[in-house]
Amino acid sequence: MTDRIDGYAAAVFEIARAEGELGRVEREFLAVARSIETSPELRERLVDARLPVERKHAIVHELVGGRASELTVNLVAFIIGQGRASELPVMARRLAQQVAREAGGELAEVRAAIPLDDATIERLTAALSKAVGRQVVVRTILDPTVMGGIVARVGDVVIDGSVQSRLQSLRAAMKN
Amino acid sequence: MAFLANIVLAANVEGESSPVDLLLPATPELIAGIIAFGIVFFFVWRWALPAVNRSLEAQQKAIGGKIEDADRVKAEAESLLADYQAQLAEARATQNEMVEAARRQAEALKADILAKATAEADQIMTKAREDAAAERGRVLSEARGDVANLSIDLAERVVGESLDRQTHLGLVERYIAELEK
Repeated sequence: MTDRIDGYAAAVFEIARAEGELGRVEREFLAVARSIETSPELRERLVDARLPVERKHAIVHELVGGRASELTVNLVAFIIGQGRASELPVMARRLAQQVAREAGGELAEVRAAIPLDDATIERLTAALSKAVGRQVVVRTILDPTVMGGIVARVGDVVIDGSVQSRLQSLRAAMKN
Repeated sequence: MAFLANIVLAANVEGESSPVDLLLPATPELIAGIIAFGIVFFFVWRWALPAVNRSLEAQQKAIGGKIEDADRVKAEAESLLADYQAQLAEARATQNEMVEAARRQAEALKADILAKATAEADQIMTKAREDAAAERGRVLSEARGDVANLSIDLAERVVGESLDRQTHLGLVERYIAELEK
C-alpha cells in the first residue's frame, strides 16, 4: 500500500512539475486531503463503490472546482476514479514531502485557524527548523478545529500549541 | 361328779379295805408292772429315743439348711439388686454424659452457625459498602466527566466564536516565541 501511495504521489509530482504547476497542485492536494479528512461524509461518498464514478467526479468538481486548477481537478478525479479516495490524504502528504525534499528540507505541516502571512511563515520556518534540528519547508493548512494557535507536524514529531489541545488537556484534567 | 360318786360307790361295794389300798395295785401286779415298765423304758431309751433324736436333728439340720439357702438366695438377690442398681447408675451416668455431650455439640454447632452467619452478614455488608462506594465513585466520575465535557464544549464554542484576528495573531506569535526559546 505504501508503495502504491508513493507511486501515485510520485506520478502526481512528475505531472505537476512537467506542467509547471507543482506548487499550486501541492497546495490544492493538501486542501482536498484536508476536506476528505475532516468530512467523514465526503470520504464515505467518495469511497462508496456503489456510487457511479460520474457522481464522484461531480463531487470533486463541486469540492475544488472554482478554486482549483484544472490539473488538480483532473488528477484528483483520476485518483478517485481508481477507487483510491481513502488514500488521497496520505498521497497529498507524500507529495508535499517530496516537494519539500526537492526544496531542500523536510515537510512541516502547519495547521492554523487563520491564514498566515509570508513573514510569519518565514519566522515559523526558522523556528521549527531550529526546534527539530533540520531544515523544514512549511506548508500551511487552514484548519478551524485548532481554534487558535498552531499545530506543527514534522515527520513523526508533533508540536501542538493549539487552543484546541489545551482545552482537551483541560478536559482530561477536569475528568480526573 | 356323778361318775366319781359312782366309782366311790363301787369301791365301797367291793371291799372293806383302806382307802390307800384302793389306790395301790396288788403287789404281784406292781412287780410285773415295774418289770414291764423297765422293759419298755429300756427299749425306749435304747432305740426309740435315739431315733427320735436323730429325726429331730435331721429336721433341725434341714431347717438350718433351708435358712442358709434362704440367706444365700437373699444375699444373691441383694447382690443382684446391687448389680442392677450399679448398672442403673452407670446407665444414668452414661445417659447424662450423652445428654451433656449432645448439649455441648449443640452449643458448638450453634456458636459455629452464629459465627458463620455473622461472618456472612459482615461480608454482605462489606460488599454492599464497597459496591456503594464504587457506584458512588462511578457516578461521581461520570458527573465529573459530564461537567468537564459540557464546560469544555461550551468553552470551545465560546472561544471559537470570540477569538478575533488580533488574538489569533497573538497566539501564533506566542507559539513561535516558545519555539525560539
